[in-house]
Amino acid sequence: MTQYLRDIYDAVFSAFKGMRITGKHLVKKPVTLQYPDERWVLPERFKGFIINDTTRCDGCLRCAKVCPVDCIYIESVGKGKDRYMHRYAVDYNKCIWCGLCTTECPTEACQHSLDYDHALYDRKRLVYEFVDPKHTIPCHKETRLDMNLFVPNFEEEKAKLKAKRAKAAEKAEQAKIDAAKEKADADKPAEPTTEPGPDPEKGE
Amino acid sequence: MEVMTDLFGKIFGDGLSPQGLLIAGGLTMALVMSLVMALCAIVFTWAERKIAGFIQSRYGPMRVGRYHGVLQPVADMVKILGKEDIIPGDADKPLFMLAPLVIFIGSLLAWAAIPFAPGFIASDLDLGLFYIFAVSSGAVAGILMAGWASNNKWALYGAARGAAQMVSYEIPLALACIPVVMLTGSLNMNDIVISQQGGIWNWNLFHDPFLFVAFVVYFIASIAEVNRGPFDMPETESELVAGYHVEYTGMRFAFFFLAEYANLFLVSCIATAVFLGGWHPVAGPVVLPGLAFVIKAVLLVLLQMWVRWTLPRLRVDQLMHTCWKVMVPLSLICVLGAGIWMMASGELG
Repeated sequence: MTQYLRDIYDAVFSAFKGMRITGKHLVKKPVTLQYPDERWVLPERFKGFIINDTTRCDGCLRCAKVCPVDCIYIESVGKGKDRYMHRYAVDYNKCIWCGLCTTECPTEACQHSLDYDHALYDRKRLVYEFVDPKHTIPCHKETRLDMNLFVPNFEEEKAKLKAKRAKAAEKAEQAKIDAAKEKADADKPAEPTTEPGPDPEKGE
Repeated sequence: MEVMTDLFGKIFGDGLSPQGLLIAGGLTMALVMSLVMALCAIVFTWAERKIAGFIQSRYGPMRVGRYHGVLQPVADMVKILGKEDIIPGDADKPLFMLAPLVIFIGSLLAWAAIPFAPGFIASDLDLGLFYIFAVSSGAVAGILMAGWASNNKWALYGAARGAAQMVSYEIPLALACIPVVMLTGSLNMNDIVISQQGGIWNWNLFHDPFLFVAFVVYFIASIAEVNRGPFDMPETESELVAGYHVEYTGMRFAFFFLAEYANLFLVSCIATAVFLGGWHPVAGPVVLPGLAFVIKAVLLVLLQMWVRWTLPRLRVDQLMHTCWKVMVPLSLICVLGAGIWMMASGELG
């Protein structure tokens, strides 16, 4: 009999407990997004569809060579100053979004975009062409300069990077010395610090 | 019905005989009640999906209509109208076609004795409460017909379960109302509501502890009576696909759906009239009686939806255990307790 009454009590109060939980959710703001109208705020380094900025691209073929699935098609004609690229296409049927092409690109033309929802009815349309064959892209630096296309200033960039790294390394050195000093001050058995200093790349 | 017959009397003067007035008034009230049923289905399907959504931390329908998918039921209706009407080859055709109508009519008949406002009652029966329980149990026949005629094992399982469940839960449902009938001394729905006038503390719900328990028993039994979660054994979409209406499509399915939501509102209306003071407001004078009634009933419906999306489904044996070993004894105790209370407080004449 006591078990019987306890069962009734349990049933009623566990029901109330559950109702309280669902009631809380009832008044809470839903966690889902109204997808086509609302979208995620994507992280800066989101790996979306690969896009190529043809004003920057100089057709060096590095992306096509590094691509593990060979999904980038680059076609060019001519040699030297007369080399023109007339096709840059990415086959998203093959692309695995590894991002190797973007790290390899010297001019930062090949980039991940923030697009991720290209649903199509036809697989053939997943081959995206970036260059209009009628308006080919010059590949040589001087021609590009003449046409006012993007040319990266490698030397300047390199110098900047060097300076930054040197600074970071200096800082790391200083930090190491400080740490050693602190340890010595703490009057502990003197051991050489084995911890690596802060990553020089991180110091930027 | 008096409202309608009076109205027709005023419009036509002596042009209509008393019988003609009666028929015209009755048909109009029937039309009004079936419109109420349709409105229930439209509003509550949307409300149910929204509530289910919010309880599960999502939005529910949002696309159709400008604000929160308010036109979703219309879109559903158009879709359902466009569906093919399939009758399985081995089905028992006449029964199969009749079953949705039986369920629908069983629901519609019960609406006749619901007092929405003073005078606004389709049929002011002296045995109103009894009549409601009598006709609404006709739906069991419809469920059995649908399950049997579909010639489908899932449908038959669902129908058998539905019949067992509805027949069982009818007993605590009616027994829970007996204390109120004892207190009022009448089965007339109008009398029951009128006896509760004068603020929230005069409602039957708060008359004595036994009536409060009786209300809880009524509420649980009513959820089981309309076959909704956690007592949706006849449908059990995860094990019996859709139960007794698994073979139905298009408009025939819509009738089942309509009846389900109309029944949902119906049991809430009965609870409102019997326990929650009917059209009487919480306090103060009676203003907009119909609105007060509908608000109370809708709140009860929302509570039922809340329960549905909270609790898991019972097993069949647990269902029967709950009914016969818990709710029937409890409602009998309520009847006894309410009687003793009446004797002790001198209300027994």
